[in-house]
Amino acid sequence: MTAPGAGSSGIERIAGHGRAATGWLLLALAAVWLVSVARAPEDSVQGILQKILYVHPPLAFAAYLGFFLTALGGAVFLWRSDEAWDRLARSSAEVGVLFCTLVIVTGPIWARGAWGRWWSWDPRLTVTLLLWFVYLAYLLLRGFTEGSERAARFAAVYGIVGIAVIPLNYFAIELAGGRAIHPENLSRGSLGAGMGLPFLLGTVVTLVAFVHLLIRRVEVEGLRSRLAERIASERARGEETGSWGT
Amino acid sequence: MNVALAILWKDLVTEWRSRDRVVAMAVFSFLVVVVLHFALPARDAEEARRLAPGLLWVAYIFAALLGLNRAFALELENEALAGLALAPADRGWVFLGKAAANFVILGAVQAITAAVFALAFDVDLASIAPSLVLVVALGSLGICAVGTLLGAVSVRTRYREVMLPLLLLPLLVPVLLGAVDATAGLLETGTLRWRSIQLLLVTDAVFLIVSFTSFEYVLDE
Repeated sequence: MTAPGAGSSGIERIAGHGRAATGWLLLALAAVWLVSVARAPEDSVQGILQKILYVHPPLAFAAYLGFFLTALGGAVFLWRSDEAWDRLARSSAEVGVLFCTLVIVTGPIWARGAWGRWWSWDPRLTVTLLLWFVYLAYLLLRGFTEGSERAARFAAVYGIVGIAVIPLNYFAIELAGGRAIHPENLSRGSLGAGMGLPFLLGTVVTLVAFVHLLIRRVEVEGLRSRLAERIASERARGEETGSWGT
Repeated sequence: MNVALAILWKDLVTEWRSRDRVVAMAVFSFLVVVVLHFALPARDAEEARRLAPGLLWVAYIFAALLGLNRAFALELENEALAGLALAPADRGWVFLGKAAANFVILGAVQAITAAVFALAFDVDLASIAPSLVLVVALGSLGICAVGTLLGAVSVRTRYREVMLPLLLLPLLVPVLLGAVDATAGLLETGTLRWRSIQLLLVTDAVFLIVSFTSFEYVLDE
């Protein structure tokens, strides 16, 4: 029987150390960020709507980071058969889907005001939407596959294919005439005076929030797998004593 | 390599003896063409030509989904899947054999569908046949590559009939868009659009390499 914490891998040890630190950091940074967003000047054209900028792109960065970690975790799991990497992949897929959902929700709120309609089949929007479908399918696949080891292998392969398809999707949608109307990547000086700091803070806050949620999710996965191990070992012991009894 | 050829031969002989997969897929894709004809009525010949590439590829992809599901469901009988996993070669070759069989069977269905389609929508496919065969082959290669990989995955899950489309469709967007664009170019000008052929070639290469190398992890005893 392993004591809690014993036998946990490097990823879980890092998670254990990082939970409290990222939690407090998140709280402090979020407070500063809220004040800076409130004090940032209003955009002369878009008005208050422009403040979605402090949330929407940072959420997208975090979502893409999540999907990248899912593929990476899956690849390392296939390579080294270490279940901790699978738990990382699964957790970051879940947190990534959450952030991606928020991206898909906040985008149209801004687009309705700026473009006059909720959705456009712009390449970047469409690729993000497709990616959301890929990772929802990833989570469904895990749910519908019996046996945790098999689910982990299948999901790892799917996560890798899912990330390989991102650039292909992008070119495909451009080819199909999806008009690019999404604002370009932020170039130097494209933000008005006083907007840079809240945007930077927003990015940091979102990434810290991502890491914090990921840590908590990895811990839950770790506990779940230890519980499964304990149940299995106790059942085995029960069967042993049962066979002696007869 | 011999393993791939043996599996291809086995699948084709099995199919030839029963012919159930080709018949089911062909009837289904014919049905899709008829349903699409009523769901998206074209007012004139011009509009029909504009819609044709998309409708044709939707029918192809639906037919492929049906066939890919059967490809591995077949192997569940008598634990044949375990036998495939134990084949004395790299499992990538098992993948190639299965994918090639899917490719040939899908190709037969596509030819039948195209003939019916040309009649139903009054599009002249005969004059562009050689180029169209190339485009369809490139599109099917991508579908069969990633479809065979995910067919082997979904056959081991609950709700496998639902799981395969959910897994496969978001990944098939580059193939679908490249193939539709290339087919549209053929119908409009009779020439191949290099950009869409490039997209299909790159997508096929990515899907083939990823599926060949990762098939080892999806086939289990």
